[in-house]
Amino acid sequence: MTARQHDEKNNSIFKIASNLAMACFVSGIIIAGVYFITADAAAQKAADLKNTAMKVLVQDADKFDPVEGHEGWFKAEKDGKTIAYVVPSESKGYGGTIKLLVAVTSDGKVLNYDITAHNETPGLGDKANQDPFKSQFKGKKAENLKVVKDPSDKENIQAMTGATISSRAVTNGVKKAVEEVVELTGGK
Amino acid sequence: MKELWDIYKKGIILENPIFVLALSLCPALAVTSSVINALTMGLTVLFVITANNVSVSLIRNLVNPKVRVPVYIVSIATIVTVVQLLLQAYFPLLYKALGIYLALVVVFAIILARAEVFASKNNVIRSFCDGLGMGSGFAIAMVIIGAFREIIGSGTFLGFNVMPASYEAPLLLILPAGGFILIGYLVGGWRMLAQYIEKSKA
Repeated sequence: MTARQHDEKNNSIFKIASNLAMACFVSGIIIAGVYFITADAAAQKAADLKNTAMKVLVQDADKFDPVEGHEGWFKAEKDGKTIAYVVPSESKGYGGTIKLLVAVTSDGKVLNYDITAHNETPGLGDKANQDPFKSQFKGKKAENLKVVKDPSDKENIQAMTGATISSRAVTNGVKKAVEEVVELTGGK
Repeated sequence: MKELWDIYKKGIILENPIFVLALSLCPALAVTSSVINALTMGLTVLFVITANNVSVSLIRNLVNPKVRVPVYIVSIATIVTVVQLLLQAYFPLLYKALGIYLALVVVFAIILARAEVFASKNNVIRSFCDGLGMGSGFAIAMVIIGAFREIIGSGTFLGFNVMPASYEAPLLLILPAGGFILIGYLVGGWRMLAQYIEKSKA
């Protein structure tokens, strides 16, 4: 068979379309099969991961319970007593929305936070989830959550070099979470 | 054996995907601000390109030439989605680290290029070697770029400080523009290396 004949034989739009449809169909079956096998494990891992993430935020806690009336809030308990709240928060960063998970003690101090989703500049803004920027937040109350550029000012939050907007966004996100928790507990 | 080794080898130096073919430069800039990111991405691409070369080579006689590109894309997308599902289920931390870049692997020019140029015309074993070689070349190039950018731009290597504390890292190298300039120099260096190898052969 010459190349020309081969070409004509396969040239009908139906043949071309069915060829592509077949490829998509096979691909769909493969993906569906893999999804079917992995779905349970994936859901399990996602739940584990969330618990581990909260455990990292509030290391003393032995149990996490959802807070009624607040979507996505958890209270961290130790020996049956609430020691902290884990609250989702978000803020507008340099490259879009930054999503945070903030751990706040019942009296309104920051315990820790974790950035769960962001689009900040790699190598600059994404350092917001690492020390030394992160460790500045521990123990701070809402009024000290303010970004400054003066290196001698230890009361407030030092901006990251080259990423002032990201620094501000994260700080505002954390501050919002602290204020919400204070509103719930009355700061006690 | 010699022939297969030659197919593998050409992807690393003489036809290196980034430094010689100049394909997939965008991801090479986006994820190389640290060595570990560059390495993870390099290994992912190594796996996807090899798997895709094998699959394209297997179906090369069944695919109508008029729709070959869409079919190859479907094949790449399937492989990437399967990788994504598996990572999500068994290595969620790695999945989180790769983030959106994993989905972007689908549109990497180098993967489609190898399917079109090599795998659609060669048997499975040769295509496998080509994928492995091109993938290794890509991973090696990524790690080299990542190492330069991380050491000079952040003063660290794999997260450890390697520069004296007084070192003021220039921002430029962390930003994409600096990455581009660096890749330019590396392409030049690579040319010299390739020329040297060719000369010593002759």
